[in-house]
Amino acid sequence: MERPKIALYWCSSCGGCEESVLDLSENILKITESADIVFWPVALDTKYEEVNRMKDGEIAACLINGSIRMDEHEYMAQLLRKKSRIVIAHGSCAYIGGIYGLANFYKREECLNRAYKEVPSVKNPEGILPQAQSRDGEVEIELSGFHDLVKPLNHVIEVDYYIPGCPPNPENVFEAIMSVLQNRTLPKGNVFADQKALCATCSRRDTKPEKAVIKEIKRLHEWQWDPEKCFLAQDMICLGPATRGGCGERCIKANMPCRGCYGPTENIIDQGGKFLSALASIIDSKDKREIEKIADSILDMGGLFYRYCLPSSLLEKKVKSLSS
Amino acid sequence: MKDEKIRIGVYICECGPNIKEAMDVNEIAEFIRGFENVVLTKPFHLLCSEEGKTLIEKDIKEYQLTNIVLAACSPKEHEITFRKVLRNAGLNPFLLQIANIREQCAWVIKDKALATQKAKAMIAAAVKRVAYHEPLETKEIQCHSDVLVVGAGVAGISAALTLAQKNRKVYLVEKLPCIGGKVARYEKVFPSLECASCVLDPLLDEVLHNEHIELIAFSEIEEVLGFYGNFIVKVRKKARFVDSTTCIGCGACSEVCPVKIKNEYNEGLDNRKAIYIPYPGALPHVAVIDGKHCLHLQGKECNACQDACPFGSIRYEDTDQIQELEVGAIVLATGFDVFDPKKVSRYGYGKIKNVYTSLEFERLLNSTGPTEGKILLKNGQPPKRIGLIHCVGSRTKKYHEYCSGICCMYSLKFSHLIKEQLPDSSITEFYSDFCLPGRESQSFFKKLADKKGVNFIQVKNIDSVELKKKDNTILVKYRDINGKIKGRSFDLVILSVALEAARNARELAEIFDISQDKDGFFLEEHTNIAPVSTSVGGIFIAGCAHGPKDIQGAVAEGQAAAGRILSKLIPGEKLSLEPITAEVDEDLCSGCKTCISLCPYKALTYDQKKKTVSVNEVLCRGCGICVATCPGAAIKARHFTDKQIVAEIKGLLQR
Amino acid sequence: MNSFEPKIIAFLCNWCSYECADSVGRAQKEYPSNLRVVRVMCSGRVDPQFVIKAFKEDAEGIMILGCHAGECHYKEGNYQALRRYILLKKMLAQFGIEGGRLRLHWVSASEGDKFVTIVSEMVRDLKKLGPLLLRDMER
Repeated sequence: MERPKIALYWCSSCGGCEESVLDLSENILKITESADIVFWPVALDTKYEEVNRMKDGEIAACLINGSIRMDEHEYMAQLLRKKSRIVIAHGSCAYIGGIYGLANFYKREECLNRAYKEVPSVKNPEGILPQAQSRDGEVEIELSGFHDLVKPLNHVIEVDYYIPGCPPNPENVFEAIMSVLQNRTLPKGNVFADQKALCATCSRRDTKPEKAVIKEIKRLHEWQWDPEKCFLAQDMICLGPATRGGCGERCIKANMPCRGCYGPTENIIDQGGKFLSALASIIDSKDKREIEKIADSILDMGGLFYRYCLPSSLLEKKVKSLSS
Repeated sequence: MKDEKIRIGVYICECGPNIKEAMDVNEIAEFIRGFENVVLTKPFHLLCSEEGKTLIEKDIKEYQLTNIVLAACSPKEHEITFRKVLRNAGLNPFLLQIANIREQCAWVIKDKALATQKAKAMIAAAVKRVAYHEPLETKEIQCHSDVLVVGAGVAGISAALTLAQKNRKVYLVEKLPCIGGKVARYEKVFPSLECASCVLDPLLDEVLHNEHIELIAFSEIEEVLGFYGNFIVKVRKKARFVDSTTCIGCGACSEVCPVKIKNEYNEGLDNRKAIYIPYPGALPHVAVIDGKHCLHLQGKECNACQDACPFGSIRYEDTDQIQELEVGAIVLATGFDVFDPKKVSRYGYGKIKNVYTSLEFERLLNSTGPTEGKILLKNGQPPKRIGLIHCVGSRTKKYHEYCSGICCMYSLKFSHLIKEQLPDSSITEFYSDFCLPGRESQSFFKKLADKKGVNFIQVKNIDSVELKKKDNTILVKYRDINGKIKGRSFDLVILSVALEAARNARELAEIFDISQDKDGFFLEEHTNIAPVSTSVGGIFIAGCAHGPKDIQGAVAEGQAAAGRILSKLIPGEKLSLEPITAEVDEDLCSGCKTCISLCPYKALTYDQKKKTVSVNEVLCRGCGICVATCPGAAIKARHFTDKQIVAEIKGLLQR
Repeated sequence: MNSFEPKIIAFLCNWCSYECADSVGRAQKEYPSNLRVVRVMCSGRVDPQFVIKAFKEDAEGIMILGCHAGECHYKEGNYQALRRYILLKKMLAQFGIEGGRLRLHWVSASEGDKFVTIVSEMVRDLKKLGPLLLRDMER
């Protein structure tokens, strides 16, 4: 029998998801025992053309990380979809849009201007911005087009399974690959993580009182954080209650609150909206002005509550209205 | 959501001309016919008629309809009617959704095209929503039919007797050693000027001898667990040090007791002993030892009462006992306290002789009181000039903004009684406004006003009244209605003090987990339509614990609370629970506990073993606050699920 | 622009504002047809997710009506609505959704005229704001 083929690809990605594959350490041998990695730009010099030549469905499983922002990402996602029997969105960006997704609070032009003109370390007196088509003398240059919005993988192709995380817990990556290699039948859309929110496995859960109320929101640098006490009980925003567990609480162990990279649990319609609801509910005031004051102490609510999930959230982006 | 198993029947009620003329019913029906899962769409002239109900019932069977949408009047009008129709046809009553196209469309939109458009959206929403409806069961639980009544004043006694009349076992817990509350210490009551003990004693007697009432006097509630139908209550029975089964209240013990302490039952106007009967005629008529002051119990050599008791009833070795009660419902009739005028230095209370609070004056008037009912000054002489100050502590921003409601009447009562005893005396009532509602108050006032030597002085602001000692008299300074400062001298002044929440109201509210209003009175479930129930199912309130009121009002509330209990908590019958409640999915609950403290009914508890939250369906009333709160979306609001509401929103906004 | 008719989703609590809307109907007081009502048991049931979802589904405005302070049928559900509303409104601004598109009012069952005024004013204001262009800016 032919050995199953595995492919890995990165779209708009920081490389952290690739690390999560390296972090499989010896487990990678268990994978290569029974399968061949046929495409992995970060490690192998395989050309796109070679992928093109593959038969449809030839790849057993393809892990795609990073969000979709350029023509190239979309093209490769579609190509790999055709060539693969199972496509797994690998990491928060592919799963729910990821941290790059916060760019959706800004217009395409604002992003480009910022990156190519306004950043203090950039010297660009002519104000040249990257173009999909340009000319350098006789040479016609074609670059990948830059889209208006950041999208998660399932906005451009059909996705079978998801591995959340920024970066993902290597255990989840291993489980996902092995499930394909072992021909396990899983429901479409399966997420390789816990069903319950992070609090279920959080070592600090028992330190959270039944009545946790918040009078002010503290920020990371403003406090000496008790390394054993629930962050919310210390007036620190922690998205753990609205975020899937399975990450191994790596942030919590480093005395950092959860920022939601594992995405919402299954019944949540909108992770940011849901967390906002829960946080508002424990604000200890009935007075409009005081509540407003507390609300004002939460800087960048949208960026905080949708840190990893903006492109996959209900609104996806900053909305345009005629009045603006 | 297309689902072969869902077969929706949509009925559009024309409501005679009401809906039919306001919109194009046929156009709406045509529009709805094409909807997913809809197998039947029928306009009908009047669905709530027998004919209409029969039609729906017949169609459900004939077309195997699984869900029903009615476009008709408000669900508040006929949801119950049509749920019955579904049940009769063998469908779960909750598989119904009503689009309110009469009150919220036909009657408020004059333009026919706009009304048609809105009705389409409303029905589309109902069709989409009903596809997600789930059958709900009305669960029933076993319950205790015994009742705990706390407080044996008129309100509590009325509740207890009403319950006992229907052979209901009642535990009547009273913190004092005797029953009858404050009324038992009054001489006469308004507006009839009947003798208080003539009114009250037969009731007290009945309480003591009713086989269904177990009086637990000199006792306090320590803990309440459970919920409607199943409360477990711990009662601390304080040591009485006297065997109440053999003591006959002869008083031989009190006579020999060497200890003298201020008598709280006479508002401290005279003294009592360390072993005492609260007042002559107190029921049960049994002595009690005040452990804090008894020499023997304080470790000193004294056995005087034990030596004197002809019945051997003294029990120095007595200790507090805890009794556990299992009851289905609770009536809290824990009474009130009066405003302490020492808080207002202007009144000179406690400093100027012969200035009394109304409660003290009640005792002066009472034949079992310190003066045996004679109105006397401290020097033993009867007063000639008596002043009454209204609204002491009431209707003032500084103390209580509310009107205590009964002070005008009891002040008038005092004047009547003073005039009866001292016909030549001169009485002056200082008031800012009179509160005399009801059938008999005006004539009660009139009768007094017609008497000689009774004056009413309206003051500009009751806070302007000031009392000063002047020689041997009391000078009352005030601003008259024109703002002029004036003064009058009196021999005796009565302060008509406000009724306020009992000093232990907060403690009780915590034990019973009920709410208090801003003044500390127990809060009813709804001011107008649920005045004696509380936000906790099975706990009722009656009498002045719930706010100042007269005897009539207190008795009515006691009886009302009893009636509510008798009608719902029936021996042998199970208690039906609200089917629209919250439900926790244990597979999703992370145990973050965010929801727990937000439940208004304490229906959510954290299971330490499972590390998840569970809902007590007896306590839950289905508000959905926890559901909106749950950050992990692990709680479902039955009949108002996220899926149902989202489907409804989509339907309403469909283009 | 004149022909623009905004759609408003209104979450009405079963005990006060829904009852109020019914009584306005019984009194046959006219108000704009733009209102689309979702009945909830308590304004405390209104999940910010519903509000966001309604905007997503093309509502131009959302209204949450609850009982007056101290009159909530469930004690303090209306305060939950208030807290969520304040935070949500602030967050929605970051999404470019103007404050005028989300409103919270306390309306008792007997305040029919207030109800009519609130609805009319919101329709008037939304007509000025115009539609929410959620589909815009996509490639």
